[in-house]
Amino acid sequence: MKKIALLFICVYSLSIAAEYDPIRGEMLALSCASCHGTDGKSEAITPYIAGMGKTNLYQTLLDYKNGKRTETMMQKHVKGFTDEELEQIAYYFSSIER
Amino acid sequence: MMNRRNFHKILLGTTALSFAACSKIDNVSTPTNKKRVVVIGGGFGGATAAKYLRKFSPDTEIILIEQNKEYYTCPFSNTVIAGINPIEYIKHDYNTLEKKYNITIIHEKVKKLDGIKNSVILESGKTITYTKAIVAPGIDFKYEKGYVEGSEEYAPHAYKAGTQTELLRKQLEEMKDGGIFVMVVPKDPFRCPPGPYERVSLVAHYLKNNKPNSKIIILDQKNKFSKQALFQEGWEKLYPDMIEWRSAEFGGKVISVDPINKIVTTEDEKVKADVLNYIPEQKAGKLAFDSRLALGDWCPVNTKTFESKLVKNIHVIGDACMASPMPKSGFSANSQAKIVALQISKILENKAVVNPPKLANTCYSLVSPTYGISIAAVYEAHTNNIEAVKGAGGLSPEHADDNFRAQEAEYAVGWYKNQMSDIFM
Repeated sequence: MKKIALLFICVYSLSIAAEYDPIRGEMLALSCASCHGTDGKSEAITPYIAGMGKTNLYQTLLDYKNGKRTETMMQKHVKGFTDEELEQIAYYFSSIER
Repeated sequence: MMNRRNFHKILLGTTALSFAACSKIDNVSTPTNKKRVVVIGGGFGGATAAKYLRKFSPDTEIILIEQNKEYYTCPFSNTVIAGINPIEYIKHDYNTLEKKYNITIIHEKVKKLDGIKNSVILESGKTITYTKAIVAPGIDFKYEKGYVEGSEEYAPHAYKAGTQTELLRKQLEEMKDGGIFVMVVPKDPFRCPPGPYERVSLVAHYLKNNKPNSKIIILDQKNKFSKQALFQEGWEKLYPDMIEWRSAEFGGKVISVDPINKIVTTEDEKVKADVLNYIPEQKAGKLAFDSRLALGDWCPVNTKTFESKLVKNIHVIGDACMASPMPKSGFSANSQAKIVALQISKILENKAVVNPPKLANTCYSLVSPTYGISIAAVYEAHTNNIEAVKGAGGLSPEHADDNFRAQEAEYAVGWYKNQMSDIFM
């Protein structure tokens, strides 16, 4: 019974992940490039985010949004996006080859 | 004697020659099987648009027309004026755009765009037709109060980077210790709202270390300015008693200027400068007016595609367009350029544009090389307006510690490096 419940939870959590929309994902990620480099391939102190794992990047962005993480700049930007939009951004950068 | 065969030979030769000549000097009409986008202006807006259009639209012919072979950025030009970086630091070229992204670069001056014929008319008389045009003409100055064309040789504006940047640098180097550096700042709207105050900060940094008895007077045509509390906090901390800011209401308002003798007449007095940095009021670049893209001083655009509201198939981006509340900044122009490139790629494929597009701005300013402050915002384009997303963006905190300011200064440099790569590499 427990196993079935766990399976149910897993399937449910999978189903609430947003579906990747490559065009919107790329559109939303465009302004990130100014500081993080084209496609997130930073050549400077700003972190290199191309090819980061989707789950990890999405969680990092959510943490900035919810105040669990602070920095000089990031929280100001992530608050301009819905959670779903942040997930699209995370999908986009995870799709780039490092 | 000429026989029939020889005549044909000559005729063929002539035809070949005229074809060759056509492709080199004559007009360039749009190839029937290919879409062509012409981008005019190779700054933050134009150069970005060309590069990103290639990313979104691999088969489109892209022509970038920019009169200069080299581009000097306004961002970080204040570090050149203050002697922190050499002029080469802000110099960029179009070689990578041409070679890596297969963009045809034409270094010529554009006379105007003909929106009825969908063609660009160059100063040389040559015309280039387009399917879509992206225009990023930047700014021009309103000559006023005695500041006329040519005045910039005596009282540099240094608000278009390059030789003006070097001239202001030279004047500052030649100024005596105990001299007075006067800056006149225009009313809104103008390019880079925090730009004048960053410049004053870095000039103060130079003077403090080299000519510590000097003074800076800002004659402002406004009563408040961008990042004001943050700048003033930094000035008090780093350059106490060196910078005097006069608002329009309290002594800043300029009645007239004598650029040659560097004398500014305000409502109260005549201010004699040793170095006069006069930044005139601004309007869209001349090309916008010659191509009938401007209404008043700036160019009205459709907020989702930046297509001109006045001329079809011409998209106007950067400082010249009306995109309030986005500031007229390099970052804004870069953000708009990418969205426009994406939207145009969709239009060329007869697909729906991306809706709603989101844009952003981040402006770092250096109060000293190790003291940075910033402002940021995220924007959403609605049908009739652009809106700053509520709850997002904002300024650096006041009274932050030295470490925070130092970090922002490092991120400012990081932004510049990655931003330049994002545009030109």
